[in-house]
Amino acid sequence: MTTTAAPPTTTPVVGFDQVTKTYESVRAVDGLSLRLHPGETVALLGPNGAGKSTTLDLLLGLKHPDSGTVGVFGTSPREAIVAGRVGAMLQSGGLMDEVTVAELVKLACSLHPRPYRAADVLARAGITQIADRKVNKLSGGQAQRVRFALATAGDSDLIVLDEPTTGMDVSARQAFWATMREQADQGRTVLFATHYLEEADAIADRVLVLHRGRLLADGTAAEIKARAGARRISFDLEGSIDERALRDLPFLTALDVSGQTVRIQSSDADATVHALYGLGAYPRNLEVAGLGLEQAFVAITEAEEAKQS
Amino acid sequence: MNSLIKLELTRSLRNKKFLFFSVLYPSFIYLIFSSSAGSGQRVDDTGLTVATYLMVSMASFGALTAVLMGNSERIAKERESGWVRQLRLTPLPGRGYVLAKTASAAVVSLPSIIVVFLVAAAFKDVRLDTWQWLALTGVIWAGSLVFAALGVAIGYVASGDAVRPITMIVYFGLSILGGLWMPSTTFPRILQDIAEWLPTHAYAALGRAIERSEAPHTTDVAVLAVYFVLFAGGAAWLYRKDTLKA
Repeated sequence: MTTTAAPPTTTPVVGFDQVTKTYESVRAVDGLSLRLHPGETVALLGPNGAGKSTTLDLLLGLKHPDSGTVGVFGTSPREAIVAGRVGAMLQSGGLMDEVTVAELVKLACSLHPRPYRAADVLARAGITQIADRKVNKLSGGQAQRVRFALATAGDSDLIVLDEPTTGMDVSARQAFWATMREQADQGRTVLFATHYLEEADAIADRVLVLHRGRLLADGTAAEIKARAGARRISFDLEGSIDERALRDLPFLTALDVSGQTVRIQSSDADATVHALYGLGAYPRNLEVAGLGLEQAFVAITEAEEAKQS
Repeated sequence: MNSLIKLELTRSLRNKKFLFFSVLYPSFIYLIFSSSAGSGQRVDDTGLTVATYLMVSMASFGALTAVLMGNSERIAKERESGWVRQLRLTPLPGRGYVLAKTASAAVVSLPSIIVVFLVAAAFKDVRLDTWQWLALTGVIWAGSLVFAALGVAIGYVASGDAVRPITMIVYFGLSILGGLWMPSTTFPRILQDIAEWLPTHAYAALGRAIERSEAPHTTDVAVLAVYFVLFAGGAAWLYRKDTLKA
């Protein structure tokens, strides 16, 4: 496949071991340990200030940890980049002014040890039509696609993307993720930071939730939803409502009664509903729906903050 | 890295304003200054005619413009825009960025030197031996490296907003005080004393020694060498600091 020797399967693509990075008094990354494995598509999820960008900077060797170690393919980040194993697109990554899109992509290809043809890179990033445009005349979404082209100019094994769809409209965003999936389907490991929670849910096999520089959750999007009380049950009850009985329902994680309407969050909706009928209740307009990752995320974050204060 | 040099150069050649100021502007000033004084007149104590004397001044000035402006402003702006960070995600070695900038500036500074020579020979009848023309070109071109290093240092110390005024002050300060625009012998005593220790003064003095068929003075070479070490060392230090912080 690639010209470099395949690493032994035990070598993680990315390994963080007790990594800490402090700016003045702020711990941007706090004792972070994580491993990425070959072929995974991983979302790094967290609100602004969670430490996502610092984590990516450490991973790419743009910053150095105060303590702990960062390894990429078993080497230092810089060595991995020089070997052409990492392609990356940063939010803060600027573009060279006064040159055309095609010229810039050609430059990226010529710098990569295992380059693709510039025409192919342009086509894959969907920027063939704007190839002759000057880089400083691009819209935000177009500039993002050019950055993506620079990150995929060669046959890299790991693609790192920091909030890649910032500035794109909905259709551009969908097109972008389709392109990205192709990268993942070719066996690449993809790591992307996002605060668009639906993106993590829709794209990633694995979601890492980062909060205050620490890893709050690590699992599939479904597992993370489950952890936060995964399903929402709502129904109407006639007559007086025995809140105490409802509160004792199995797997219930939250209860809200307003008027005749009851809303429940449950980590096992089937069991909760079954027990509800067991109470002899006759729920009307029963709805069971999954929690969006966003709500799951808010719940995990709140639980964490409650624990700390 | 060659691809980056080529692209930097393409970009410079597209920038009409930059080309005008580095390649044509010195020749204009040369014509204006050398015509206001009778060209046949001698500049006191050098024994050179005004036209010959000013030719070296303006060729040095042109080379200075190309390398100083080309480096400082671009580097400061590209540090701010994040292009420098983006390049660090490629296998290009860290110093490759600075070397490519300097190399492309050097390609522009060569014509700026030669155009002044051509104008001087064609319109002001400056006549020198072949070896002198070649030596002048070589010395002025190589000497411009001192100011390329200064440009890099300014680029790493200044923010994107501040870089232009800072560059302008340094640029005009060094050009005028160093005697590139008018002989420093016309300055008041105190300014003359300062001028002698400026890199631009030593820089132009190298060229004038060649015009007089002399070997460049050791003091001038030493002054330039010290400034080069200072500027290049400063640039390297600032570059490393910036890299750690980015």
